[in-house]
Amino acid sequence: MLQFLKMASDSCIVNARYKYIHDDHKNPIEAIDAHHVLVRTSNSRVFFACLSALLLTSTAFSLSLLKDKSILILLWSLLLSALLVKLFLRKPVEKESIIIMSAFGVQLETQYGRGRKVHRFIPIDKILKPVLNECVTPVTCYWSLSLIVRGEEELTLVFKEIRPPVKMLIPIWKALCAATNSLGNLEQF
Amino acid sequence: MGERLKYRILMVSDFFYPNFGGVENHIYYLSQCLLKLGHKVVVMTHAYGKRSGVRYMIGGLKVYYVPWKPFLMQNTLPTFYGTLPIIRTILIREKISLVHGHQAFSTLCHEALMHACTMGYKVIFTDHSLYGFADAGSIHMNKVLQFTLADVSQAICVSHTSKENTVLRSGLPPEKVFVIPNAVDTAMFKPASERISSDEIVIVVISRLVYRKGADLLVEVIPEVCHLYPNVRFIVGGDGPKRVRIEEMREKHSLQERVEMLGAVPHAKVRSVLISGHIFLNSSLTEAFCIAILEAASCGLLTVSTRVGGVPEVLPDDMVVLARPDPMDMVQAIEKAISMLPKIDPQAMHLRMKKLYSWHDVAKRTEIVYDRALRCSNQNLLERLSRYLTCGAWAGKLFCLVMIIDFLFWHLLQVLQPAKDIEEVPDIILPNCQHGEKPGGFL
Repeated sequence: MLQFLKMASDSCIVNARYKYIHDDHKNPIEAIDAHHVLVRTSNSRVFFACLSALLLTSTAFSLSLLKDKSILILLWSLLLSALLVKLFLRKPVEKESIIIMSAFGVQLETQYGRGRKVHRFIPIDKILKPVLNECVTPVTCYWSLSLIVRGEEELTLVFKEIRPPVKMLIPIWKALCAATNSLGNLEQF
Repeated sequence: MGERLKYRILMVSDFFYPNFGGVENHIYYLSQCLLKLGHKVVVMTHAYGKRSGVRYMIGGLKVYYVPWKPFLMQNTLPTFYGTLPIIRTILIREKISLVHGHQAFSTLCHEALMHACTMGYKVIFTDHSLYGFADAGSIHMNKVLQFTLADVSQAICVSHTSKENTVLRSGLPPEKVFVIPNAVDTAMFKPASERISSDEIVIVVISRLVYRKGADLLVEVIPEVCHLYPNVRFIVGGDGPKRVRIEEMREKHSLQERVEMLGAVPHAKVRSVLISGHIFLNSSLTEAFCIAILEAASCGLLTVSTRVGGVPEVLPDDMVVLARPDPMDMVQAIEKAISMLPKIDPQAMHLRMKKLYSWHDVAKRTEIVYDRALRCSNQNLLERLSRYLTCGAWAGKLFCLVMIIDFLFWHLLQVLQPAKDIEEVPDIILPNCQHGEKPGGFL
């Protein structure tokens, strides 16, 4: 008898700054629900990087011509602008993910620009509830997804470094509610 | 009258819960009554200590405690343009149609009104206090008020005296100013079920013991009344810089048995203090409306008050005895009140107050003001600038400059953070909703 493994469709939401990917691997042996949010390089960053490099090079060039200084300054400025471009174009955070294993727990992962990865695992019985909060700062207001963890005083943020829009947070929140059996609250909405 | 339009209102003030006071209670009760009428109300204020972020109060009232630190007398630091990003974000995400600011002495209110005008929203202002014209502080504040109110759509004052005062200070045309008196929560302020005995007459004073509230008058009046009437006792609730003077007066005339000092009375306990008395004494030197005497009348007390500001407009003549803010006049007024006491029926007074004052009535009248405000025509920048120029020779040009920079800053923000990136908040309906409406929200 042949057993067909069912692969649920991967869904994807994209906006100017972030891209959300949902991998849902469902097979009889294990159920892993992975949600990734990737940071996209925005056009403005490229623009600023190129602009600053251009400004620096042209200043150095005109200085070396006018003041008749050595070619060393021009070489240094070229090196500096190459470094600046590299700095601007590199993203501090590449990707943040959450992997939900309903039998075991939840793994939160942050991948930084240089390839460094930070993991955090929270066992399923320690999670009391996932919550969507509105956070207010002196200049803006945004949504964040957090977990209420038994034994911890503060909420655990699912996405520590990035702020994805609420339409990307909702499917993750629903998946977390289902995994932690907080289904009762879904009925009210 | 067909179906009324439902509005989405943003109330802005520096003064809100967890502080207790006239303005705070006004905003709270008005918001609750507007929610019952079907409108959506959001309140914005500054953070109080650790209380920062979004909170929900009874009835689904959403409050934004914005983390700007207060710097002077509960007011946020006036930075002119600093609050523009957060105000714009809140206005867009809550889909606000009207901005309602409270209290002339609130910097957050002025800034919010200024930014809301720039962004094209309709703006309403409620003034709760009377202010002077003579001293340096008042002159500057009146100038600021002229600027802010130059393009407000409508204004509300709590008494006719207050309307006169506001119109003179701000140069607003009187047709734009409505008078909607405050009200009192008669369900909370009920007289005692059993009348207290009249052998000993108890006079209650509850106010902040500061100069403005006439604490100095009390120092003169209390010993005189105690001397003339051996069966009169005083209960003084409240705290402040003048408390020391009253304590000294007590010592000097040996009135410890007859004058009881309670210290600061929390708002929840005010009723229990009021119902232990027969007469309520208010000695304020200036008052736009005076909710304290409403609370006293609702509890069945006869009021003796100074005839200042809007006080004569508050109560009918048989419930209040008025006097000039002079000690001898006040003593005579107390004499008259004591002779009127046998004819007073607290329950009848309470029922009359219930009919005269109610927050639902205030909310309905405020709705009418909102309707009028939304029918005002939109104005572009040039028309508004021309109005500012009439504010004064130097001030007018300064105001124009401030508004032009505000306008440019707003456009810069529209480029950096486009409105479509700010997500609108779904209306979260609480689980025990009354009408069985289909809940909106995330699903």
